Amino acid sequence: MNKPSGGKRVTADRVNAGLARRRAAEKRFRSVGLLSLLVGLAFLCILFFSIVSKGYTAFQQTFIQLDIHFDEQFFGTETEHALEALLSADYGGLIRKSLRAQFPDISNRQQLRQLYDLVSSGAVYQLRDRILADPGLANQRLKIWVPASDDADMLIKGHIKREVPETARRLSDAQIAWLDALEAEGRVSLKFNTAFFTNGDSREPELAGIRGALMGSILTLSVTLVLSFPIGVATAVYLEEFAVKNKWSDLIEVNINNLAAVPSIVFGLLGLAVFINIMNFPRSVPLVGGLVLTLMTLPTIIIASRAALRSVPPSIREAALGVGASKMQTVFFHVLPLALPGMLTGTIIGMAQALGETAPLLMIGMVAFIVDIPTGIFEPATVLPVQIFLWADSPERAFIERTSAAIMVLLGFLIAMNALAVMLRKKLERRW
Amino acid sequence: MVTRLEGHAFRRFDGALVYLHTEVLAMAGLVLEQIQLALESFRTQDQEILDSVCRKEYQVDGLEKKIDSAITQILAREGPVAFDLRAVMAFSKAVTDLERLGDEAVRIAQLSAKICSGESGFSNTHMLRDIGIMGDHACSLLTEAIEILETLDLDRARELLVRSDLGKEFCTSFRILTSYVLEDTRNMRYIVNVVMVLKSLERIGDHARNLAEYVVYIVSGHDIRHRENDEK
Amino acid sequence: MSVVFESRFSFTSERRKGERRRQSRASASTAIVPREERQTVGAAAVENPRIRCMDVNVYYGSKQAIKNVSLDIGSHEIVAMIGPSGCGKSTFLRCLNRMNDTIDNCRVTGDIFLDGQNINEQSIDVVPLRAKVGMVFQKPNPFPKSIYENIAFGPRIHGLAQDKTDLDEIVATSLQSAGLWNEVKDQLDQPGTSLSGGQQQRLCIARAIAVNPEVILMDEPCSALDPIATAVIENLMIELCAEYSIVIVTHSMQQAARVSHRTAYFHLGDLIEVGATEHVFMRPMHQLTEDYITGRFG
Repeated sequence: MNKPSGGKRVTADRVNAGLARRRAAEKRFRSVGLLSLLVGLAFLCILFFSIVSKGYTAFQQTFIQLDIHFDEQFFGTETEHALEALLSADYGGLIRKSLRAQFPDISNRQQLRQLYDLVSSGAVYQLRDRILADPGLANQRLKIWVPASDDADMLIKGHIKREVPETARRLSDAQIAWLDALEAEGRVSLKFNTAFFTNGDSREPELAGIRGALMGSILTLSVTLVLSFPIGVATAVYLEEFAVKNKWSDLIEVNINNLAAVPSIVFGLLGLAVFINIMNFPRSVPLVGGLVLTLMTLPTIIIASRAALRSVPPSIREAALGVGASKMQTVFFHVLPLALPGMLTGTIIGMAQALGETAPLLMIGMVAFIVDIPTGIFEPATVLPVQIFLWADSPERAFIERTSAAIMVLLGFLIAMNALAVMLRKKLERRW
Repeated sequence: MVTRLEGHAFRRFDGALVYLHTEVLAMAGLVLEQIQLALESFRTQDQEILDSVCRKEYQVDGLEKKIDSAITQILAREGPVAFDLRAVMAFSKAVTDLERLGDEAVRIAQLSAKICSGESGFSNTHMLRDIGIMGDHACSLLTEAIEILETLDLDRARELLVRSDLGKEFCTSFRILTSYVLEDTRNMRYIVNVVMVLKSLERIGDHARNLAEYVVYIVSGHDIRHRENDEK
Repeated sequence: MSVVFESRFSFTSERRKGERRRQSRASASTAIVPREERQTVGAAAVENPRIRCMDVNVYYGSKQAIKNVSLDIGSHEIVAMIGPSGCGKSTFLRCLNRMNDTIDNCRVTGDIFLDGQNINEQSIDVVPLRAKVGMVFQKPNPFPKSIYENIAFGPRIHGLAQDKTDLDEIVATSLQSAGLWNEVKDQLDQPGTSLSGGQQQRLCIARAIAVNPEVILMDEPCSALDPIATAVIENLMIELCAEYSIVIVTHSMQQAARVSHRTAYFHLGDLIEVGATEHVFMRPMHQLTEDYITGRFG
């Protein structure tokens, strides 16, 4: 109160003197924050760039055009066993004949085999499917695009360098020359790789697709969602709204929080021990995968749901109780609808986590090489991240780009799920 | 029991109430001086006193306006309740009483001038004896009432109300003075003036009682005015 | 110890109450009650009370929040409860419709009679009780649903309406009673939260009276409102007390002075003084009340 008369002035001077320092500190702090943001963004960009640059070529596949004559003698004469004849016909022979016709001057057996290697071993199924779909094609000449082998594909996409000495590359000079000749005739072309999205896994990269893994993921996640959402929400509601708060409820809460931090592989071991060894569920099936992921996701959903319930203002509960609603009516009519967006967000984030999970699924055998596309939760299946893991392990050059492409698909799904979470929150969120 | 006006959580209210109290006491002091001066003039026969009493009357009127505006401000800004409300109301009434007291002082001074100048007849100091006695009584009563108003002392206020009544003294003096008139009717004019002074002094006593009643109201909350009517 | 004893033998407690009342009448004529005295001053009991509370104690864990409070709420009267923060007035209010049940370590002893029924017994079902004793809270808390749904919720869960037209009528009359009908009749499907603060609070009052209660408890209903909205609510309270008993907790002494018929002053869990509002505000009988209402507290 009783300061010297110049007190105000002195204060002002001191404030002004410190002002520059304070502003500088503020600026520094902001630039540090900005810098860290930029570093984070840079890493993200590097990640995306590396994945996309490696993976985008997998969405295209080299095809070779062949003149195929569905010679009637191949299928035998018109009989009542036409279908069997069509099924058992030697389509490989047709392709070989067409290739020989293309390059008539090759007679060496070894060279011929090299020539045949340019075309994917899956081409025969393409021909078969073609003729099965339309038997009228028999005895006709057709120009048909068949997939090239992965090595030819790699050369066309530039992943196999011509400058490398012949011994160090997977294609011989002769094969390159034939491909060049085919290309000069316009018989080599890059087309959209539908097989990547429609096929299951395969040893041949050009035939390998993610359909099986995708279906496996969807089935596994369905099981997870159906089990973990109701259980998680019910648990959260009980703990938050009905349970008496005492040391037991505290213990349960601590354990749930700890469970969320348990390494996922432990859940895999648990699943292996309980579901497969004790309960005798089959291995590698989405049901068991879903169960394991449910165990893993439950804590996340419970914690998120409890947070959502806790964020519902107590005034809403009081209002409902105040007009004479019972505890259950209060929860179901007023609290749950308000907490639902938060619960859904938590669930979707948990699902996204489950979608990206690999380790626990390795333990229960979902790492097997499965060609067939699963159609039910009791059929052996694998999931996207495990598929990525498998492909990343394969030696063929062509699997590198497929790995990246599968990662892109996985990331796409993750982004889509998160976007869904944001959208649901926006749509359902109500102000109070 | 002595009550304090201060002690509000909101300190400006303290200031406003204490200011109001001080101004009321200042006004009371002025009025008391007026009355003492007016009574003095009977002894000194000083003609100038009427002027100074009238000059003080201006000051008293000024204070009255000032206090009234202070009261309005407190009512408007602080919203007093209970003790504070009673204090403000009582001060407001006390101001009216004090203003009347000032008027009485002026009247006494005017009558004194008339009596002393001899225009109302011959001067008989014997007849003025009652004025002296009753005037002292009234002055001491008023002084005590003002002290009570200053300290807000409930017990003293009640005690004062029990003992002080100038009515009887007035009646006694009035009887004596009537006998003078019966003695010689030429005294009439003179005596009437003296009676009027005595009546004024009685009224001063009543106003002093009112002040004490206000203090009782402030402190205890009981309105003890016109008790005799209630009892009837 | 004696609390349990007394509540079990209400006859004894009645007699002691009588004594206390005589004491308080005696003290009215004498000087102001000193600060140290914690016995209730003034007439806590009324003729034909709606709610009669006898020796109510509330404990939060080991802390005693309400100490031996006896207070009657009459029919068609507004009782204001004032006192400094933490004096227990809200706690006491919440005893009257058992809202304290929602607080885990809260324990209430004593007898609270509503229409001759002791509502503080554990066997009493709180659902019909809360239908009889409605509550309005400090912050307007409409459900984040439509205005219609806000009002209809109570009647619906209690099964007060036979059909849709019945329900419509309850909603309309409740809103009319709360003086909100003319403002919202064209937008009943709008969310209740879109209304202004004062309108929201009136919506909450309408919601409370939609279940046709006997008593309405208001916990600082105007503390979040501007003076105009406050005045509207106060007018509404005065209108509503023709049909309901109203108990209001307020921090605004002016509000208590304006609307209530009787005022009760709480201090640190004790009911210090209760009496006709004009008496409490003109001539409080207890020094603590005097200190509080003149702003000399603390």
